[in-house]
Amino acid sequence: MKEELIQVMAGNAFAVSDGVGDMRAQPHVPVGLFSFDTRFLSHWVLTVDGQPLYALSRDDMTYFETRFFLVPGTATHYVDADVSVIRHRSIDDSFNERITVLNHSAKPAEFTVRMEIGSDFADTAEIKSPQQRGIGVLVDQGQLRLCYERGRFGREAIISSTEPVEVDQGGMTFRISVAPNGTWTTNLHVGMIIRGAGTQDLRSSLEAHQRKVRHDMREELREWLERAPTLVTPRKPVASAYREALTDLAALRYQSLAYSQLSPVGGMPWAMALYGRDSMITCLQSIAFTPELAPATLRILAMDQGGRLDDEHDEEPGKILGELRYGEMAAFGSAAPTMYYGAADTTPLFVILLDEYERWSGDAALARELRHPARMALDWIDEYADMTGDGYVRYQRRNTRHGLINQCWKNSPDAVVDRHGREPAFPRATCELQGYAYDAKRRGARLAREIWGDPQYAHRLEREAAELKERFNRDFWLPEQGYYAFALDPDGRPVDALTSNNGHLLWSGIAEPDRAAEVAGHLMGPKMFSGWGVRTFADGQLPYNPVGSHLGGVWPSDNALIAAGLRRYGCDEEAARIVAGIFDVVETLGGSVPEVIAGYPRSQTKYPVQLPAGGRPQAWSSGALLMLIGTMMGLRPLGENLLVNPVLPRGYGPIELLDIPGRWGRTDSYGRERPAHPRGRRPRVR
Amino acid sequence: MATSAAEYLERSVSGRHPDLPETTCGTLRLDIHEDARTEHWYLAIDRQNVEVTRSVEDADLVVRADREVFDRLAAGCIHVASALLRNELAAQGNLRLLMSLRRIFPGPPEARHPRDVARAREGRP
Repeated sequence: MKEELIQVMAGNAFAVSDGVGDMRAQPHVPVGLFSFDTRFLSHWVLTVDGQPLYALSRDDMTYFETRFFLVPGTATHYVDADVSVIRHRSIDDSFNERITVLNHSAKPAEFTVRMEIGSDFADTAEIKSPQQRGIGVLVDQGQLRLCYERGRFGREAIISSTEPVEVDQGGMTFRISVAPNGTWTTNLHVGMIIRGAGTQDLRSSLEAHQRKVRHDMREELREWLERAPTLVTPRKPVASAYREALTDLAALRYQSLAYSQLSPVGGMPWAMALYGRDSMITCLQSIAFTPELAPATLRILAMDQGGRLDDEHDEEPGKILGELRYGEMAAFGSAAPTMYYGAADTTPLFVILLDEYERWSGDAALARELRHPARMALDWIDEYADMTGDGYVRYQRRNTRHGLINQCWKNSPDAVVDRHGREPAFPRATCELQGYAYDAKRRGARLAREIWGDPQYAHRLEREAAELKERFNRDFWLPEQGYYAFALDPDGRPVDALTSNNGHLLWSGIAEPDRAAEVAGHLMGPKMFSGWGVRTFADGQLPYNPVGSHLGGVWPSDNALIAAGLRRYGCDEEAARIVAGIFDVVETLGGSVPEVIAGYPRSQTKYPVQLPAGGRPQAWSSGALLMLIGTMMGLRPLGENLLVNPVLPRGYGPIELLDIPGRWGRTDSYGRERPAHPRGRRPRVR
Repeated sequence: MATSAAEYLERSVSGRHPDLPETTCGTLRLDIHEDARTEHWYLAIDRQNVEVTRSVEDADLVVRADREVFDRLAAGCIHVASALLRNELAAQGNLRLLMSLRRIFPGPPEARHPRDVARAREGRP
């Protein structure tokens, strides 16, 4: 059994410890205190009179606060302990641990309380085997300062105590005397400093931290939950999963150095940074629930839009960021660079999100403000992404040392293969990229016509979109198999694997309507549908692997887009099966929506098997749950109104989603179960 | 170094920059240190137009670095974001303007167009 890991987080800062609150660096999981992709504490171990502590219970108060209730000793002999310890930790830009020692005896008692403290200043990208760094340790006026320098690059952790303390190179010791039935308390505060970098002052004081955590952050979380629509459902686990998903999204918002508005990071523990794809998909998924994420994300990605041709960065003018990493390895080029653009889908997604946000919010001013970056993004599709001149969006890394081999959402190195496991040459054109490009052009056309006042450009984009759709349906369709090819190789030969990417083609609207039923049949057939959700890669093909992230695993985020696509083409019943399957995963596991589960048939395992590669929470997994609710309710903005067209899985009605924000102000939606529609209904395409 | 930052700022920056968004508007001051002296270059960005002057006036964003760092920036050899993270370059003020430098200074001279890379067919697995 894996040891339980406890996390607190806020934006891109997080702390991971064991069940008593101790942090000891491990090779396989990022344990310690992290911020801006740097580990500021790798060792943080509390003892009382030289004894380790044992956990009685824990109170995970909010995502940024946890309390551990502890006694000295081990499980076998803590009984009748006359001393107990409470560790109350909280995180924002800094980290605080309030340690309380309670003397339960009728006599005064003396204790030696010690915190061992150390840091390796590892980059999150090298947790498996951190390089040895020369760490400076300074004992300075009752503070412990851990410093790392490389040229002008500097990171520092400053640990201070509110109570008198003996500080040495390895930690802090308190020799205390506690009155009968009395308590003793100190606050250990850890400031995390990034030298230079034009940062906000990360050396926030203890008082500021406590004010922020106890008042501002608790209040802000309450308001965040209140601003979101109210879900009324007879299924209690669904109600709590909804609340959990909203809370996870609150936890995974970070403030960049340039903007005060918050945008989503990828997720715990490996992706606590801005990822263009994850961030924008999350915004699209949550647009009916937490629309404020979208403008913040669009603005920061517009600011960071590619401006130059650059091989190391896999950057081209107009390209939207793949990831933004603040760590040492990125800054010094021993990993993908700080601003890395190796993603072929982010640029069309930017236009899709801008249009979708305007449709929901009516915020035409933002669409005008971001006209230039949107136009550059649309130009990128034709000028830089069409690498072989056949009109398809393709990718091939130019940074061959640290760049990503696969620059689509299935980005593991072996993810793109045919049904026999053969890899196509580069540049590769995966099918969903064409769907996104089609959608981006159509949406760009709407923005050009309705908001930018450029009907000629709108006309051009519409024509290009229509041509792309026609070409795509000719070149990617595999008539004998009845689905769309995974990708085309540089010579235009199809990569014939059956994959979940077909669902994205429905989401984008590039699939021909008369092919939707056949595609849906594949997606929901036993080779693809596990019973929990649609597998990334169909069973029965050589590379299929139920525990392979992109070669068989089931991703809630993927499934949310697939379900939305199915409803777009009128495959309502199929969409409802996915909604029910993913909700069953969440109801069975409890807590945050997992990033990916194994592709085993549900009938075989009866339980969703989580993959070690996946982390919780993940922004686009939490977002998936919201999108599935929106899909179930059939929410769609039309002009100034919100259309509601619920199709519920059995056992999900009656359901209400109240106070849905948008250009209409706030509005309510109600859903009841109804008999399934007869099959063969005319597909509805919007 | 083929061109110094000072030469580049003098010759190649003033004028229209169609790749800057129309909505980017503000002032940047580049403080270029060498030995004991500092040169101040003042860039006013307004509706895709950049005006370059020498001035010590306050700006929305002040960027400070050694001459050598600015020279490498002007030669397209370093990325402004990595330089900032390495603390080779300090920025104070409205950081939203910082990325404008990416469009004002050139990219790496050896950079390739994706189409040329595709044509070379280096990508055979």
